[in-house]
Amino acid sequence: MIYLLHVIVLIGIFAILSTSLNLVAGHAGLLSMAHGAFFGIGAYTSALLSLNADFPFWAAFATSMAAGCALSVLVSGPSLRLREDYFVIAAFGFQLIVSSVFNNWVGLTRGPQGIGGIPRPRILGWNVDSQVAFALLSLTLAGASIAVVGAISRSAFGRVLRSIREDEILSQACGKSTVRTKVAAFAVSAALAAAAGSLYAHYISFIDPTGFTVMDSILILAMVIIGGAGGLFGPALGAAILVVFPEALRFVGLPGYVAGHLRQVMYGTALVLFVVLRPRGIVVKNGARR
Amino acid sequence: MTTQLLVNTACASAHCALVAVGFSLIYRTVRFFHFAHAVVYTIGAYGALALGRFAGYNIPLGVFFAVALGALAGGAMELAVYRPIRRINSSAVGLLVASLGILVALQSGVSLVFGDDTNALRWGASGYSSIGIAGARISTSQELLLAGAVVSLAVLSAFLSITRWGRLLRAVANDASLAQIVGVHLNRVVLAAFLIGSALAALAGVLWAYNTALSPTMGFTALLLGVVAAVVGGVGSLPGAVVGSLVVSAVHQFAQWRFPGEWQDAIVYVVLVVVLLVRPQGIMGKPLKTASL
Repeated sequence: MIYLLHVIVLIGIFAILSTSLNLVAGHAGLLSMAHGAFFGIGAYTSALLSLNADFPFWAAFATSMAAGCALSVLVSGPSLRLREDYFVIAAFGFQLIVSSVFNNWVGLTRGPQGIGGIPRPRILGWNVDSQVAFALLSLTLAGASIAVVGAISRSAFGRVLRSIREDEILSQACGKSTVRTKVAAFAVSAALAAAAGSLYAHYISFIDPTGFTVMDSILILAMVIIGGAGGLFGPALGAAILVVFPEALRFVGLPGYVAGHLRQVMYGTALVLFVVLRPRGIVVKNGARR
Repeated sequence: MTTQLLVNTACASAHCALVAVGFSLIYRTVRFFHFAHAVVYTIGAYGALALGRFAGYNIPLGVFFAVALGALAGGAMELAVYRPIRRINSSAVGLLVASLGILVALQSGVSLVFGDDTNALRWGASGYSSIGIAGARISTSQELLLAGAVVSLAVLSAFLSITRWGRLLRAVANDASLAQIVGVHLNRVVLAAFLIGSALAALAGVLWAYNTALSPTMGFTALLLGVVAAVVGGVGSLPGAVVGSLVVSAVHQFAQWRFPGEWQDAIVYVVLVVVLLVRPQGIMGKPLKTASL
């Protein structure tokens, strides 16, 4: 039961991540390979503030979102005015720099040793220390982020975002500042990813750089693609599938490293198959909605 | 000391240029970042290892086998994955995602077959040759790497400027739709770009494997520097890729000299971000239109 709740907590956390990436990748067609980095930025900010500055959970959580938001401008500012290709490269470079900082700025992040003993959250006097409570918190925040992205998607702002994906020049010709729209959407997306990071740090209570690499960015992207980019619930479903699937593989009883690589082979293959055979994801029928 | 640094930089540039030129050649033909290029490199190196285990370690045979295997792998990716995707929709996002999928799947596949541990390509040469320039020493594997890079890039350059296929490749790189209008078979030219680019990647992989060692993530590490070099030099420009490789390798080597070694990768990415900020078209690239209006 505890194990089942653990899986549910992870699904909630990754649902936040995939939903946040969907806001930029699905709606605006901006392929961010930096969401693992923002996830990590949230986790490290929150962990360091709780441990070193005695921030209460809500304050650490909010600050980590602000940090994700602020750092997102480093990626989006210079690159969004150029072609989409450059955004991909800038996000990729940012991910690698952030991974390098997590690993090498030992004075701050303790490098590969990681940071342990991160306290469980306490919200308005409610100690979130049982597995049930954490599952509730995680699902609530996942629901909240789906609601936020849904609201953005239905707003005029969301329509401009989708128009950028379909035809950016037309959108500009209609007088929309597409650059400002993209920067804002990316900032919201990064803040949500950082929120997931904060939640993760306070749940696992130990973080190290291996959880926030470029491979994790690709995993989050896979969740979006498999669930269906551009839909609302698809990415969360994709997250659930890609969290449950490797956990299920665990019961087959393969040795650890074989299982790990087999998992990677399978989700890489799934990624290719989905793009080729079912580019609209698992939820939406092909060509049903554009 | 300084000459040794220069020798090392030359070898690193040669390696980086092979990766970057192949990557750029494919990029400018298909206009998306073919990240699975990394695993083609790895496949080349491990192909030589597998051949060595079965048929004995022979350098010319190993290099030839690796290059052929790499070209085959790259061509198969184009035929089995990218071409079907191009047929259903033209978005670069789908192609990019698929290339990441191939990368993840095949890199882990290599790990499953050969293990995560570092392997070495055993070979007969005695290691260090007699060539010494002003106190610097060049190993035989480094000579092989330098010679391989110079010869193959010279051949490629001649091929592109003289032959009919070279002209087709340049035409598609310049303007794919225009080339199609005048009757170029786009799919064939794209396949040619994948075959040539992948052969270069596999060559880089096997030569680097002779020089150092093999690990399943070696291709990814090499591609990171190669991509940075391609962008710094001007993405899509082949001379730019070579110049970018020189710059990136020099920064990489000299950073190691001045700063703690663990920061050398980060410094290279900082160079990338600075180039994107200051001169996004790269050193040799054509000026970019900013807003696409």
